[in-house]
Amino acid sequence: MTKILFGLKTLYFGFALLFTIHAQAQSTAVTGTVTSADDGFGLPGVNVVVKGTTNGTVTDFDGKYSINVQDANATLVFSYIGFTKQEIPLNGQRVVNASMTEDATALDEVVLVGYGTQIKRQVTGSVQTIEAQELADLPVSQVTQKLQGKLAGVQINQTTGKPGQGMSVRIRGQLSVSGGSDPLYVIDGFPISGGINTLNPDEIEDITILKDAASTSLYGSRAANGVVLITTKKGTTGETNVSFNTSTGIQQVPERGRIDMMDAVEFAQFKKEYYEDQGDPVPEIFQDPSQYEGKTNDWYGALLRTSPVQNYNLTITSNKEKLRTAVVAGFFKQDGVVINSDYERYSLRVNLDYNVSDKVRLGFNVAPSYIKDNTPRSDGDRGTGILFNALHTWPIMPIYNEDGTRTTFNRFPADTGNIFSYANWLTSAEQIKNETQDVNILSNAFIEYEPIDGLTVKTSLNAELYNRQYEFFSPSTATYRINRPIPTDAEAIWEDRKDFSYLNENLVTYNKSFGEHNFSVLGGFTYQKFRRDFSRVAADTFADDRLPTIQGAANINRGGTYDSVQEWSLVSFLSRLTYNYKGKYLLTGSIRRDGSSRFGSENRWGNFPSISAGWIASDETFMENQEAISLLKLRASYGVTGNNNIGNYTQYALINNTVNAVFDNEFVPGSAVSSLSNSNLGWETTKQFDIGLDLSLFNDRVSFIYDYYTKNTTNLLYNVQVPRESGFTNFSDNIGEIKFWGHEFALNTVNTTGKFRWTTNANISFNRNEVVSLAEGIDRVYGTFHITQVGKPFGQFYGHLSDGVYLNQQDLDSSPQVPGRSTVGSIKLVDVNGDGVITRGGDEDDRAIMGNPFPDFTYGITNTIKYGNFDFSVIGTGSQGNELLIRHLYSTANLDGVFNLVDGVKYRFRSEENPGRGFYGTTVGGGNVTGIERDWINDRFVADASYFNIRNITLGYTLDGVEKFFKSARIYGSIQNVHIFTKYWGGPNPEVSGESDGDGDGGNLSQGVDLSGYPVPRIFSIGLNLNF
Amino acid sequence: MKKIFLFLAVLGVLGTGCEDELTIFPEDSLSVPTFYKTEVDFEQAVNGAYVPLRTIYNQSKAYLGEMHSDNTYYARNTAFGATEQQEDVADFAIPTDNGITTNNHVTNIYVDHYAIIARTNQILATIDDAEFDNAAKNNIKGQALFLRSFSYFDLVQFFGSVPMHLVPVLSREDAALPLSSPDDIYTQIIGDLETAISLLPPKSQQDPGRVTSGAARTLLGNIYIVREQWADAETQFQAVVDSNEYELMPNYEDAFSGNSDNKNNIESVFEVQYKEGPEGLNGSFLYNFLPRPMTADEVGAVTGTSNPQPLNGEGNNIPTPDIIAAYEDGDLREDASIQYVTASESFWRDGVYPIIKKYVEPHSLNGNHGMNFPVYRYSEVLLFLAEALEEQGKSGPALTHLNTVRIRAGLGDPVGDLGEAIFRERRVELAFENKRWLDLVRTGRAIDVITAYGNRIKANPNDYYYPEGAEPRGNAFTNISLTFGLPASESSLNPNF
Repeated sequence: MTKILFGLKTLYFGFALLFTIHAQAQSTAVTGTVTSADDGFGLPGVNVVVKGTTNGTVTDFDGKYSINVQDANATLVFSYIGFTKQEIPLNGQRVVNASMTEDATALDEVVLVGYGTQIKRQVTGSVQTIEAQELADLPVSQVTQKLQGKLAGVQINQTTGKPGQGMSVRIRGQLSVSGGSDPLYVIDGFPISGGINTLNPDEIEDITILKDAASTSLYGSRAANGVVLITTKKGTTGETNVSFNTSTGIQQVPERGRIDMMDAVEFAQFKKEYYEDQGDPVPEIFQDPSQYEGKTNDWYGALLRTSPVQNYNLTITSNKEKLRTAVVAGFFKQDGVVINSDYERYSLRVNLDYNVSDKVRLGFNVAPSYIKDNTPRSDGDRGTGILFNALHTWPIMPIYNEDGTRTTFNRFPADTGNIFSYANWLTSAEQIKNETQDVNILSNAFIEYEPIDGLTVKTSLNAELYNRQYEFFSPSTATYRINRPIPTDAEAIWEDRKDFSYLNENLVTYNKSFGEHNFSVLGGFTYQKFRRDFSRVAADTFADDRLPTIQGAANINRGGTYDSVQEWSLVSFLSRLTYNYKGKYLLTGSIRRDGSSRFGSENRWGNFPSISAGWIASDETFMENQEAISLLKLRASYGVTGNNNIGNYTQYALINNTVNAVFDNEFVPGSAVSSLSNSNLGWETTKQFDIGLDLSLFNDRVSFIYDYYTKNTTNLLYNVQVPRESGFTNFSDNIGEIKFWGHEFALNTVNTTGKFRWTTNANISFNRNEVVSLAEGIDRVYGTFHITQVGKPFGQFYGHLSDGVYLNQQDLDSSPQVPGRSTVGSIKLVDVNGDGVITRGGDEDDRAIMGNPFPDFTYGITNTIKYGNFDFSVIGTGSQGNELLIRHLYSTANLDGVFNLVDGVKYRFRSEENPGRGFYGTTVGGGNVTGIERDWINDRFVADASYFNIRNITLGYTLDGVEKFFKSARIYGSIQNVHIFTKYWGGPNPEVSGESDGDGDGGNLSQGVDLSGYPVPRIFSIGLNLNF
Repeated sequence: MKKIFLFLAVLGVLGTGCEDELTIFPEDSLSVPTFYKTEVDFEQAVNGAYVPLRTIYNQSKAYLGEMHSDNTYYARNTAFGATEQQEDVADFAIPTDNGITTNNHVTNIYVDHYAIIARTNQILATIDDAEFDNAAKNNIKGQALFLRSFSYFDLVQFFGSVPMHLVPVLSREDAALPLSSPDDIYTQIIGDLETAISLLPPKSQQDPGRVTSGAARTLLGNIYIVREQWADAETQFQAVVDSNEYELMPNYEDAFSGNSDNKNNIESVFEVQYKEGPEGLNGSFLYNFLPRPMTADEVGAVTGTSNPQPLNGEGNNIPTPDIIAAYEDGDLREDASIQYVTASESFWRDGVYPIIKKYVEPHSLNGNHGMNFPVYRYSEVLLFLAEALEEQGKSGPALTHLNTVRIRAGLGDPVGDLGEAIFRERRVELAFENKRWLDLVRTGRAIDVITAYGNRIKANPNDYYYPEGAEPRGNAFTNISLTFGLPASESSLNPNF
């Protein structure tokens, strides 16, 4: 380390000449040396300022400085990041040396825990905090995007590139079969009803992730997926600060990762060969593929564009007398890289704290935001997502007519094999409106009273109002569907959603010490209620595209028109006792009791206790001599949490009264029982054990955190299938068990200190799960492409295993076949059950597990370097061992030549002499033969999606000589998604994780399906931070 | 500290009042405890019990009852895959293992009939406790009993032994029942239908389209025919004839419903009710029964809609050369039942295919039409009666009833054996009304007729709509079985099969 320091000091010398501002010589020169108290070496780059003036300098590479002062009795202020600020009065001295000590306050740092704060050193749960400052430069709209790679044990995936959408956050791999798996988000103590994708990241002060049950169990029946606590900016002590942050950038989809499709010549060549191999005459348009040279119509590429992104934030914090204020105003605008997609966010937050007296404090926070977002149906399966549609459209179909105008509709004669006809996707993307407008108002008010020292009573009222309006309009000149001639019937959907949630929280805390025994007690009662009113109107057949109003529609689509009300209420009692002896033996116990309207009438209340203990071994006398060890803490915790995402009315047997009938051409209303009731329905229960180690070495130059957890989730909400002879398809019950376990490692190192300060944060997480049991008598659940099976990890890819193609007649004769369908050159599937025949489904099923959407491990590494006025950071994130199912291959490797094809199909089996690469089979025989390869999902659809993404590189420079105008000014340049290292070939985004597989089969059971959605762009941006 | 406990105690008292706050019934739907009380509730409930018939008759019943015979076949489109579900039905190649199959259409018929059974069970279990007008109650009960019996009759004919649910399922444990034998099922539904006959009004006093005492007698008679209880069958059909509630329409083609008119006409005993429009009450079976691909214009020429859309995929339920040949010379029904359409982009010959004309009616919305699907027509009552009489050696009156049907078709006395003549007559009179397969089964002819039919297709695939060079699949006509396998999806959930 010393060597590095030395080398860098030398390097510094050159820069020092360039950037040091020399104070003007006027009167007395004061000189001195600033050293590190730790090792006695000189500290370069320390700011030395005459207190109360802008007169200052920095130390050179030996720690020496010289400054001219007018007042012989002035005070010098020495400051340096990571060290305690020092003020030394001159008292007439000409030589002032300073010895800087490293800032030890980090040890007494306070962290947020549920319903309170704790000294970080004394926390016994698994908790990780991120300061928003660390995330500031990333030019993305969502907080969760910024957190990627920063947190051990938290897997954050960006499943689509749609602006403002698609972040999936899973803490410790938590999954539920049918309940939600998103963590609970708590903003300034208010558990909000949804996610945080609308929150302006600049409003955030810090984010704390609660991972183990000891830290989450106070959130009771909502805590099983982990809890994310967000603190917004507050007025800091001291002066008024005004800061203005802005960045602007351009986004583009990198070439790498785009799916390698056939160009027009290759496609025509394929079609030509298709007919030749079949022994059929080649249609005229395919007879001479070379005619398409240079005439490829890249439908997919045509939908993409390079587009701008910009972000402006103005923050004012102040602390005047008894009033502390923080105001954050933000504007974010991102035009998407798919045409006609854009996202705008206007946000404001005002946080006020007022000390009425020494004993009474009041607070008000209000945060309105408005978001407008349009994405023209880009994502989805064939026939529902424009990107997928464009991907498989024939490259010989013209985007433009010869006169340069757009084509409206492309359909080739049936003898060309064109059975799917297409609208012009450019026109579709441009003209289809698919717009949401969100208004969100989050507000809190509280009063806190401290009647006696150590006792605090706090009552708060929190409200969340959320309104979403959705408008979809597809004019007669556009469609996202396939086989829909243009002009078509215009279609429209309007949706209106209003959510209102309020929470009353009453907390009492009492802190008391008796000698070395320190206690803290918390008690509380909370009541929360939520209501959603939703209405939807669907209409079609408009008289005029310019009037997409309801009254303009000839037809209201009754099936798509409805309204609904969703409500829940939650009543809770909570309590926590924290105790420590001498600050090194730590014990915490807590319990929450939740009553919820979602739970069945026979099972309305649940208890969620936890206990945790910690031991700071490094504070023991026998460790005193271990100079290197600044902190050694052992922790263990156990607790119970719940997941109440089970639907609001699942317990009731409901009547569907839209089962309408007709008699003699007259409509009559009808009804039927649509579900079975379950008055015992309850929450999902997760019991988690965590053991952890916190170790800091060399005065916290190295800190290391390790956690091992194991948790069992039981009483899974599960729609147990019942035989349909009952008239029902399923019964909602709490059933089954999944076991999760994992290891998390986080390492922070300060590699160099001083003028060249280099820190590294790295983390790696291993999460595993196994299904212990499902419903009685059921050992597996099938999805379209997945299986969840007892004894195996959750949601594995399930299908046929393949073994090349049948190379010749002898190979065919001697191998198991699909009766009546297998031929020479067709896909050879593995006869898993060994009965000599390939079967799909039923008792003789030959399908098997063919892949795993879950990674072996995920990791992140962030390097930050500060060198004088420069700062530089690189963030990398990675995932290893996960696979994806490339769903679009059912179109893009359809051997019947119905769609455009992936490049690899060029190397298919054509004859015994020309067997290709054994991956794609023969085109001869039509759907009866090729259908197996395409429709019987097999391991050719599965690909390794391990990746390492250089998520962000930022280089910043803090300007000197701006003191007249600003407190500080910094400029930076940043590149987001610099490069993805991956072997994944199915699409540009190896993080894509189909929340829904496009076949109506969604949720956690069906993860990792790539439908070729909205690509995630690379963003080049520059930014400016100004402080006034 | 005392203050804390006091505070918590106060909160505790507040908390106990919260039980009410925790009971939230859905505002946007009714739940079982509050429903099934009034006449209106039960009327809605019985209306809901008819609903699955729309799905059954829109597609799967036609495939299992008609295309699963020598009357219709599919029009092979070699450019299109993923068609094996229908092809397997038409080709007698449904993969069946241990009496279990994954075929969609087989599964659909099964689950849709059980939906009717569950809905009628819910009515029958609760209606006696409700207090409202007795006549209305009897009518609803009669309809429910009819519908449940109708579903079980279809199930027992298609599958043989099936689970017999007679009360609503309330918990997971009650959901799976063991298989009941056909005899037990027949005993149950014969008894139920006798009750239904006594509860239901005749056609003239019933809301048009709902089941009547005449429909219940016809269903019961049909059961007796299948059971070969000829005298019992005769009693029921004679009662229908004697009720004077029914007549043949003068023209055969007028026996079938129009898109919005001529529904539930004087010849109609029971038909599945549809309605064109956006309410979701429509059928689309005409489109299922067209060859493919067809251009928008070609579709429009058949359907008469203003917004025709092209059709792709593979067409089903296309009349075979066999059924076309089965019409005697001069039979007016041939032109009323079959017409020819052009699918110019087809690869088969010149693309001119026969299609079922009975269900071709002009309508306005593409893929959305209102024609009803006939289940029982009076002409079938007459043919059933003729059959029951003939089987008892009463050939004189049998011939009279047969000739009533033949005269309308422009034909004279039949030739040859009277029993055979009645059977031939059923084929053409009731062509495409989902009768053929079950007739072949109940008369013991299925294996022979279908084997010969399969051989004809394999010998001359081009005659059966295979494009030049295309061949039937290797598994075609390898599983000619009198019943369908039970659905695999049900087998995996019911430990009894």
